[in-house]
Amino acid sequence: SITGACQAIQKLTRVRVVDNSALGNTPYHRPPKCIHVYNKTGVGKVGDKILLAIKGEKKKALIVGHKMPGPTMTPRFDSNNVVLIENNGNPIGTRIKTPIPYILREKGEFSKVLAIARNFV
Amino acid sequence: MSQWSERGVFAAGQWLGGLAGRAAVWERSGAAGMWRALSAGCRLLWPFSAAAGDALWSRLLPPGASRGGCVAARGAAGGGAGALGAVAERRRAADTVLPKFNIDLVVALLRQENAKDICVIQLPPEMRYCNYFIVVSGSSTRHLHAMAHYMLKMYKHHKEESDPHTQIEGKETDDWLCIDFGGIVMHFMLPETRETYELEKLWTLGSYDDQLAQITPQSLPEDFIFGLSPNSSDHLETT
Repeated sequence: SITGACQAIQKLTRVRVVDNSALGNTPYHRPPKCIHVYNKTGVGKVGDKILLAIKGEKKKALIVGHKMPGPTMTPRFDSNNVVLIENNGNPIGTRIKTPIPYILREKGEFSKVLAIARNFV
Repeated sequence: MSQWSERGVFAAGQWLGGLAGRAAVWERSGAAGMWRALSAGCRLLWPFSAAAGDALWSRLLPPGASRGGCVAARGAAGGGAGALGAVAERRRAADTVLPKFNIDLVVALLRQENAKDICVIQLPPEMRYCNYFIVVSGSSTRHLHAMAHYMLKMYKHHKEESDPHTQIEGKETDDWLCIDFGGIVMHFMLPETRETYELEKLWTLGSYDDQLAQITPQSLPEDFIFGLSPNSSDHLETT
């Protein structure tokens, strides 16, 4: 028997970078993949930091939406969205076009990502 | 009585020592004499209101140590015992005299801090993010950190009991700090960072922002069928 898919973001999930950074938008022959989740459990939900492997380099990123249904009255997205972040927390891109959930405001330390977002959900 | 006055002296000493740069403001308010009173260990007057203006300072001085001591006791003693109950009532009476932490107070404090290019944007309630969005430039990293910590101190002093606590975000960065006060969000950036992100443009222009328009719109591939991934078997997945 095989365990079912976890559906939130864990190691080796392919993610979609949603900001307008050069690193996230230039095409590459491999999609960006998560290689580590900074969490006690290895599963990343909205508001968790993860390590991505993009274009042969490692970059930290913040999860802003995943395909797995979360708590009731929280948005569920059709793709695992991620925003690239530097080690000190500054976002690398300057604009985010996709909707960002309001949960990030209560989770703490993400006002910079909210400041460059265009629409909220 | 003596226990909180001693702790208050120690805490006030740290506070005064840490802000030696503001000595100019305090000399105007006659803080030099107050500092001597502090070191003597007697009832102290906390110079928080130096920021709120000399008018408030003079209002605090004549009633003497009781009101000033109450303000210190709030930070130093923490937790009311029976002896501090009456002190708490006088403290609440004193708090109604202090101004509310609203946008006017914030802008006045920023002007006093020599913040450059204060930009206050009032957001419509449809955005459901905050009421006021403030972007401020500083001259150096140290200036940004000083401004952010000062604003947090003022907020803690002026806030009601029901207002949530806030933290400073971006303490480990050197060019962008940020505080979310619920109804007000403040960003402290260096001028170069401000040019890179152009937050004022985004929040005033909304969808007509030029950086947003430059993001190439992603389109679906022609053979995309919703619910059918390219690697799955021939039946549609049903969850």
